[in-house]
Amino acid sequence: MKKLSLVFLLLVAALLVATRAQAQVIVIANSSVKATEVSKSDLRDVFTGAATELKDGSRVVPILLKAGTAHEEFLQAYIGKNDTAYRAGWRSLVFSGQATMPKSLDGDAAVVEFVAHNAGAIGYISKGSAHEGVKVLAVK
Amino acid sequence: MNRIAIGALVLALGVIPAAGQSLEDLNIQIHGYATQGLLYTTNNNILTTNSSDGSPAWSEVVVNVTSQPNPKLRVAVQARYFMLGLIGDQIILDWAAADYKYNEKLGVRFGKVKTPLGLLNETQDIDPSYQWALLPQGVYPLMSRTSNLAHYGGVLYGQFKLGPQAGKLEYRLWGGDRQLNSQDGVFLTRREIGIYFPNGLGGATFGAALHWKATGPLDGLMLGVSDYRNAGNWMAPILKNFGTTPGTETAARVISPNYFGIYEKNKVMVAAEYNRYPILAFMNFPSTPTQTVVGDRRSWYAMATYKLSGKLAVGVYDSQIVDHKSAFTAAQGRYMKDWTFNGKYDFNQFIYAKVEEHIIKGTDYVYDSTMNPGGLKPDTKLTVFKIGVSF
Repeated sequence: MKKLSLVFLLLVAALLVATRAQAQVIVIANSSVKATEVSKSDLRDVFTGAATELKDGSRVVPILLKAGTAHEEFLQAYIGKNDTAYRAGWRSLVFSGQATMPKSLDGDAAVVEFVAHNAGAIGYISKGSAHEGVKVLAVK
Repeated sequence: MNRIAIGALVLALGVIPAAGQSLEDLNIQIHGYATQGLLYTTNNNILTTNSSDGSPAWSEVVVNVTSQPNPKLRVAVQARYFMLGLIGDQIILDWAAADYKYNEKLGVRFGKVKTPLGLLNETQDIDPSYQWALLPQGVYPLMSRTSNLAHYGGVLYGQFKLGPQAGKLEYRLWGGDRQLNSQDGVFLTRREIGIYFPNGLGGATFGAALHWKATGPLDGLMLGVSDYRNAGNWMAPILKNFGTTPGTETAARVISPNYFGIYEKNKVMVAAEYNRYPILAFMNFPSTPTQTVVGDRRSWYAMATYKLSGKLAVGVYDSQIVDHKSAFTAAQGRYMKDWTFNGKYDFNQFIYAKVEEHIIKGTDYVYDSTMNPGGLKPDTKLTVFKIGVSF
């Protein structure tokens, strides 16, 4: 019985690790955005307020997740900051009159809904989330 | 014109064309922050506070209202309450501006706008955004922050990509009018010898800044240069003998360059900056020879920070000011050197605390005789605690 419990616990742990390792984010954009791909540096510039256009001249508006795994992974993969430092960077721009704070939404579905219906919107969601009505940008 | 009215006017200019849209469409946001500091010095009283007994006379509250009625136009206004020892204790208009960004290469900001000088001038007042409780005083003097922060006029800005591996170049061109309030800390030493500026001092001013941001293997590096100039001489009425004798001050044209660089990657930040600020002014009173005020302040700092964890970062900087034309005969009055050791802890995205130790040698800056009637000692240690909340 004890051995069965141990095996069960190990299986659950392995499943959790596997799920964690597979969690990824995808970048989505409104259909008005002409680009089909975006560079990591362009993505970082847009999501840190350093730029409001992609390389092809498309004006974009970043949309954030408030919190969660996808948000943390996006910050780690493309921004290189944790959430506190990231939002502090945006506040610097707001308090120096150079930007407004980007909209933060509660979950993937809300991000997809907003991006689908707002020209220029660009956001990120978990890879496995439904994303009808938006285009996926490849990150190179 | 009432400065607060300027802020209201700028907001109206942005909002009126959007009449008929909902508040959500106008994307109106309200942000703010508040800080409270505690200063303790081992010897001299510093920054016009009674710091040798421990002084909490360092408080700040900022409120910012921003609206973006369309993707290219943003209007915003920011008000501040600031109190540091004998300075401030009033609500002021930090800035109020309309910002139209045509594209990445060209944008314009006008109203009362932050002046793009040096590495940190536009963010020196945003305490939540940086590591330090007290910035290097030679380059970013706290007692003169209100005067240096912003000007009435405009800024042209933009950026150009130089090529796939050549980075990008950001430019700022600015001009307008700068006013030094009569109660500003920049006049403190003059007030102590009985010289008052009843209308402050100001005039036309202009400048430029260039930032080169690297990409590729040097990604995270920025090198920059900025230049500040007064357009011609500034003149203002002055009073001496504690307000009884009128005269005139003529401040000669100022040319003040900054050279700076910063590298940020993962957990590390290193930065350095050099500034030169020459002063030449003439005080004229009836029946007395012209008095000349001269100075040639050359300041620099080098700093580094390291993130120990997601919440805790530590930092160190060395900062020096030397006045090459100081009137003080005692050596300690011609310079100030400051080694600073610091920690910043983010409790969450809203609340943070800073603790800092300064080892200060020399007395060229940050001291006043009113709070140090027995004279200044050459060295002082300063301990600073600061807590802040932002939203």
